[in-house]
Amino acid sequence: MSRSPRHAPAARSSAVSAPVLAVLAVLAVLSTTLVLAGCSAAQTVQSGPGSGDTNYIRGTVGTTAFRPGQRPAAPQVSGVTLTGQRLSLSSYRGKVVVLNFWASWCSPCRSEAPALAQLSTAYRAKGFQFIGVNIKDPGQANGAAYERSFGIRYPSLYDPAGQVLLAFRDTVPPAAIPSTLVIDRSGRIAARIIGAVDYTKLNDLLGELAG
Amino acid sequence: MTSARTAGVAGPVADGTGQDVLRDDPQQETAGRPAKPFGILGWLRWCWRQLTSMRTALVLLFLLAVASVPGSMLPQNGTDPVKVQQYISQHPVVGPLLNRLSLFDVFAAPWFAAIYLLLFTSLAGCVLPRAFRLAVSARAKPPAAPRHPARLPFGSSYRTALEPSEALAAAARLLSDKGFRLRAGDGWLAAEKGYLRETGNLLFHIALLALLAAVGLGGVFGYKADILLTEGDGFANTVAAYDQYHPGRAVAPGDLQPFTVWLDKFNATYIQSGPLRGEPATFNASIRYQAQPGDPMRHYALQVNHPLNVDGAKVYLIGHGYAPEFRVIDGHGKVALQQAVPFLPADTTDFTSEGVIKVPDAQPKQLGFIGVFLPTEVAFDGQLRSTFPVPLHPAVSLVSYAGNLGLDSGAPQSVYQLETNGMRRLPIEPQPLFPGQSMKLPNAAGTVTFTGYRQWISVQVTYDPGRVPALISAIIAIFGLLLSFLVRRRRLFVRVHPTGAVALSAGAPAQGDTGDTVTLGGAAGNAAAGNGAAGNGAAGNGAAGNGAAGNGAARGGTEVEFGGLARSDVAGGFEDEFAALAMALRTAHGAAAQPEWNEPVTPDESATKSEDRK
Repeated sequence: MSRSPRHAPAARSSAVSAPVLAVLAVLAVLSTTLVLAGCSAAQTVQSGPGSGDTNYIRGTVGTTAFRPGQRPAAPQVSGVTLTGQRLSLSSYRGKVVVLNFWASWCSPCRSEAPALAQLSTAYRAKGFQFIGVNIKDPGQANGAAYERSFGIRYPSLYDPAGQVLLAFRDTVPPAAIPSTLVIDRSGRIAARIIGAVDYTKLNDLLGELAG
Repeated sequence: MTSARTAGVAGPVADGTGQDVLRDDPQQETAGRPAKPFGILGWLRWCWRQLTSMRTALVLLFLLAVASVPGSMLPQNGTDPVKVQQYISQHPVVGPLLNRLSLFDVFAAPWFAAIYLLLFTSLAGCVLPRAFRLAVSARAKPPAAPRHPARLPFGSSYRTALEPSEALAAAARLLSDKGFRLRAGDGWLAAEKGYLRETGNLLFHIALLALLAAVGLGGVFGYKADILLTEGDGFANTVAAYDQYHPGRAVAPGDLQPFTVWLDKFNATYIQSGPLRGEPATFNASIRYQAQPGDPMRHYALQVNHPLNVDGAKVYLIGHGYAPEFRVIDGHGKVALQQAVPFLPADTTDFTSEGVIKVPDAQPKQLGFIGVFLPTEVAFDGQLRSTFPVPLHPAVSLVSYAGNLGLDSGAPQSVYQLETNGMRRLPIEPQPLFPGQSMKLPNAAGTVTFTGYRQWISVQVTYDPGRVPALISAIIAIFGLLLSFLVRRRRLFVRVHPTGAVALSAGAPAQGDTGDTVTLGGAAGNAAAGNGAAGNGAAGNGAAGNGAAGNGAARGGTEVEFGGLARSDVAGGFEDEFAALAMALRTAHGAAAQPEWNEPVTPDESATKSEDRK
């Protein structure tokens, strides 16, 4: 072996393994990428409308309340109601506004509707204004029938393309249907409820703002 | 150089020359020293080596593939929560168990995350140290010249009239000009070229890490959402607007780009005749969009694989269908529903579509319909069929129900399925309705009118900030891989001996008339084979060369030994390069321009010859 350079065999073995390693590594990474993308790919197959599609995002149900000093200002929101009237959120300054995002076909919305209808009547005299935002509903007739069904007297903005939702993007996004925002008398967001409201809980929340 | 990951692939190197392999391979190392007791640190090291071994990576990769199987076999909460609930209620024993094992949320399951995190760690743990090693290797100086460079697989030696230092300087100049990296020593010069191979390898490894990071980046900061959009409708890019929404872990609802998209018109064209009749030809959705509220409205023709890009979010057209329009007057004479109801295509060749109409606000009882939409209706053997996907003769057929839809309880339910548990089928036979036609429901439950149809598209919005970095990394990785495969590292060594004692005996007879003696190192092996022993050959010729050597010595000549080897066997090529270099060097040294040149021997043969020579 005196003459045989030690590099040669070492170089050879590395030359054999390096491409193998490289190819395997590439395969590993590619297939990892594919599998991970596959998490989504599996959904892509089913994405779009499927037979199990509830058509709405339920989100993480829960209430977020903000202390008076930390309340984000509510954005300027205006639009046309289901009955064709113009409505501007700022014109209710001085009142506590309960802004409820709903759709006529959405089951949690329907389950919370009786509570909202009752509370809106109970708190009217205390300077509270309930306002609905009818989103994802293709046509005013459905919303009007919904209000009729549940005896809802307060106005609802008709917002099929989600422009009111968008206005709240930079504050406290109503990230599900239904979502409810409570805006205090100075136009600041005091609480957000994601998911159906509970009569007792909303009553307590509004009671704190009534004083 | 040798991979730390070969253990599972190449196996132990059994030819006894694998010193370098053993030294570099931690698995081999641990296997080689089983007797040494492990401390906690030892165990940790052992675990780390196991984790970062290629074998483990492959096992993890396989596990990842296996782990995603239930995701496609069982209904998943992310895509189909209703089906999950159904499955659990239908399988009271297995269902809750599967649920506890997160098998309805496979891609969000902790064990799934564990697998891919381990895989990422394994890959990073392998690639990172290798990258460091490669970086060192790419900057390394060539090793010292061997004692007899001419005995390398490629080698030659000759005499020149130059002084040893002049000969070395000339060689250094030449090799440096040729792009070699040099290292000089006492009476020798080592040169190496092809570091680009290591650079390529390094590039590949770094790009691999970058690719992993990019994929992770996309998973953490990206999102994907789906929505069905009917002609005339629009949606804002907000969480609540979507039908399905899959955010990355770091995505907050306020991070979504504030654009809005409206669908004006969707147009699909189909092949009208021939064997492909009914096959789709083009899809085109005319959309308007606003990048943010208050921005100017823009138009865009959304087509398959031709997404709309708004602030990095991409809007894809992924499906389409029909939404027949209905007006339902309830038992009290009020409009309870008026809308286009999206039906899902049951048959994509003729677009027979199925759907349900839920009228939760109908009084006195809620109404529900299960419907079929036929774009081109033909009565066939008493059955309704569609013969073409274009609505040439659209019709719907409805089965009517009255009762409780189950919507008011708040339990989620599919918009494409009717829960008939609380409902009673109305005694009216389904009949085809054409646009404008009504069906009066029995029991004064109301009237349903098929007023027309619209089309819908399904849209996917994706935002993946890792996409471009991943692509760039992949390109760099492939480029690096090519470099490392195509560039050969090769070394050349020059050693000079003043022609006094040493070189006198090494003279070659053929060059006796010139002052310089030349021996070709590579050829020497062959000559040795022919003569039985190279040393003998040289010694035997010594007398003939004496005169010449004396000549050379008188002029202060030098014997130059010149050898080279390629560090990886990319087949062929080095012989020619070496020959050319040897020639150039010889010329630079003013030695004979036309050397006697034997076929260079392959490294294997020379290795064998070297054994003979001992």
